[in-house]
Amino acid sequence: MARVNNWQIGREMSYWYPESRPQKQFAAIFDVNKCIACQTCTLACKTTWTSGKGQEYMLWNNVESKPYGFYPLAWDVNILSKLGPQSWKDGKYEGQTIFESAPAGERVLGWRPDELDYAHPNVGEDDCAGAMIENGAALAVPHMSWFYYLARICNHCTYPACLASCPRGSIYKRPEDGIVLVDQGRCRGYQECVKACPYKKVFYNPMTGTSEKCIACFPKMEQGLQPQCFVNCIGKIRMAGYISTPDKANPENPIDYLVHIKKVALPLFPQFGLEPNVYYIPPVHAPANYLMQMFGPGAWDAIRTYESAKDDADLAGLMGLFGCSEQVLPRWKRVNDSVIGLDEKGKELVRVPLREPMHVRAAFDPKYGVQRTNCP
Amino acid sequence: MVLGMLLIVGLLSSCAKSPKPTPDVVVVERPALTLDPNDRAWKDLPEHVAPLLLQDMVDPRLMEPSTAVVHVQAMTDGKEIAFRLSWDDATMNDMPGPAKFTDACAVQLPKKAEPDLPAPQMGETGRLVEIAFWRASWQAVVDGRGDTIKDLQPNASVDHYPFEAPSLQPGSTEQQEMQQRYSPARATGNTMAGPRERPVECLVAAGPGTLTPDPALKANGSGKYAKGKWAVVISRPLPEVLRAAPRSQAAFAVWEGSHQEVGARKMRTGWVPIVREQRKS
Repeated sequence: MARVNNWQIGREMSYWYPESRPQKQFAAIFDVNKCIACQTCTLACKTTWTSGKGQEYMLWNNVESKPYGFYPLAWDVNILSKLGPQSWKDGKYEGQTIFESAPAGERVLGWRPDELDYAHPNVGEDDCAGAMIENGAALAVPHMSWFYYLARICNHCTYPACLASCPRGSIYKRPEDGIVLVDQGRCRGYQECVKACPYKKVFYNPMTGTSEKCIACFPKMEQGLQPQCFVNCIGKIRMAGYISTPDKANPENPIDYLVHIKKVALPLFPQFGLEPNVYYIPPVHAPANYLMQMFGPGAWDAIRTYESAKDDADLAGLMGLFGCSEQVLPRWKRVNDSVIGLDEKGKELVRVPLREPMHVRAAFDPKYGVQRTNCP
Repeated sequence: MVLGMLLIVGLLSSCAKSPKPTPDVVVVERPALTLDPNDRAWKDLPEHVAPLLLQDMVDPRLMEPSTAVVHVQAMTDGKEIAFRLSWDDATMNDMPGPAKFTDACAVQLPKKAEPDLPAPQMGETGRLVEIAFWRASWQAVVDGRGDTIKDLQPNASVDHYPFEAPSLQPGSTEQQEMQQRYSPARATGNTMAGPRERPVECLVAAGPGTLTPDPALKANGSGKYAKGKWAVVISRPLPEVLRAAPRSQAAFAVWEGSHQEVGARKMRTGWVPIVREQRKS
C-alpha cells in the first residue's frame, strides 16, 4: 500500500497504487434540489450505451429516492454498516477508509450485490410505509416525511476502488482526463471491481463474462461535449467539466468555483476514501445528520451558501449555466446581468441572462374577448 | 465355503477398481486420445491424488478451504496430451451472473524445459507457464445452452434490442456490426466473451495478474457432472517440457463456484511430478 493525499478527507491515506493524478480530472456537479426523478438521464444513458445483450439490468446512470431507494439494493447502507461508525474532526476524517479497513486477503473492504439486488430499481421506494395511512397520517406543513432524488453515475474517482481491486490491471484511469475505464479486451470477469466499488457502479455482463461501467461518454468529452445524461437532463441539474486540486483552484473554472471557492458542491461519501469526482449540491430539506453522513461535514454550510444564492449574483448566475449548452464550459464569467460560458482560450460559447425575462399576459384577451387560461 | 469364495472375489475386484494412487502423474501412451471423461479408456489408467492448497499468497486470496483433493490421470498419443481431472463437488455451478461464479479447473505446465522451475503461482517474469483452463459455463454453451439472456434468466422480459429492429436485415453486415457495438468485449476479440466453441482455453502467464490467451495453443476438452462429482478432460498439444524429457512438473487448480471462487481465489497444488510412461520395447 502506498500513501496518497486525499484532500476530501483532509489527510493522507493508504491506497494500492502511488498517487498519480491525471493531467485533467473529469468532474461533475449535480444540484440535487432540482432533480425531479424523471429518469430522462437514465434512459439517455440506457439507449446510448447499455441496450446490448447482458446489459439488460444495467443502469450506469440511475436516480433513486433517498433515504429508502437503492440501486442495487442497500448499496450505501451495506458498506456503511461494514465500515461501522467513524468520525470527522475539524474537517479531517479520523475514521478508516475502505482501503484502510480491508480485511486479510482483500485489497478493499467490499461486498457483492446479489442478482436480485438489481431486480427492482425504484419500485416502492417512495411509498408510505409502516401503516402510516391506516393510522391516520396526513400531509401537514412542516411534514415529518422527507425524501430527495439522488442521481448517480460513476464518480471517476481519483482513487478508484475498482481499479485498486482488479488483480489483472484491467481497469485504468486515463491520464488525459481521469476517466476510469474497464479494458473490455483484458477483463476476465472476476467481479472483484463489482465487489470493491462502494457506489456499485461496475456491472457484470453475464453474456460476455466481463464487467462494464459508465465511461463518462468519453467520445463526447474528447470533442468538448458533455455526456448524454447531462445534456438530456430536463431539470438542468448537471454540469460536466474538469476539477483542479484545491491548491490550484481557479475561480474562472465553474467546477472549481462551486467546489473549492464556494464549497457548495460536495463529494458523495468522502469517508470511503476514493476522492469521488461527482459533486452534489445537497438538498435543503433533509436532516443535517443524514446529509453530513452522505456528503461530509460541509453539508450544512453548503446548504446555507446555496440558500444565499438569491443574494449572490455570481453563484446564482453560474448555476444558470447548468444545462444551457451541450458544450463543456471550462471557463465562465459574469458581466452585469449576463453569465457567459467560455472555452479554454476565452472564446464565448454560450451566454444566458442572470434572470430570464418574465412576460406577464393579461388574464383577459381583448381581441377575442375571452379569459386566458394558465396553460402554456 | 461358497460364501467365503465370493467374499474373496469381491474383495479382489474392489481392489482392482481402486488402484493405489501414484506419487507422480503418469502419462500413459495410447494410440488415440479421448475427450470423454466417462470413456472406458480412463478406467485402468494410474491416478494421482493431489491435495489442494489455499491460494493465500497473493491478494485477492482465498481464506477458507473448499475442494480438498483433485484426482489426475493423463494420456498421450505423442502429439497431444489429455488430462482427466475429477473432484467432489456437492453443487454444480455453470451459470454466470452477478455474484455467481462457475466451477472450473486448470492444468499448468512450464513453457520451457529449464534446470529449475518457474514459480508455481502462475510463473514469473521471463519464465512463462502454460495454462489450459476449463470452465463449466463454457461447457454448458458447448453442450447447447443458447446465447440469449433467456438462457440465463428464463423469466427475463426484453422489449427491444436496437440491433434487432425490423429495419435491419437479420444476419446482414449492418446488423452484425450494430450488435457488436453493443457488446464491446466481443468487439475487442476478448476470448472470454464468447460464444465459445470449446470449453477450454490455453493461456500463458508470467506471474499473478499476467494471464494472457495464447491462440497458438489449441486446447479442447469436455466436462461432465454426475453424482456430486466433476470429471473433466483437458487436452492440449504435448508440452515442450515433456517432449524434451520424460519427466517434468505440472500444477493443478480447482475453482468452486458456490464458494465464490474466481481468478486468484482458488484451490491449487504446488508443482507435481509428471512422468511419461516409457514405451516397452
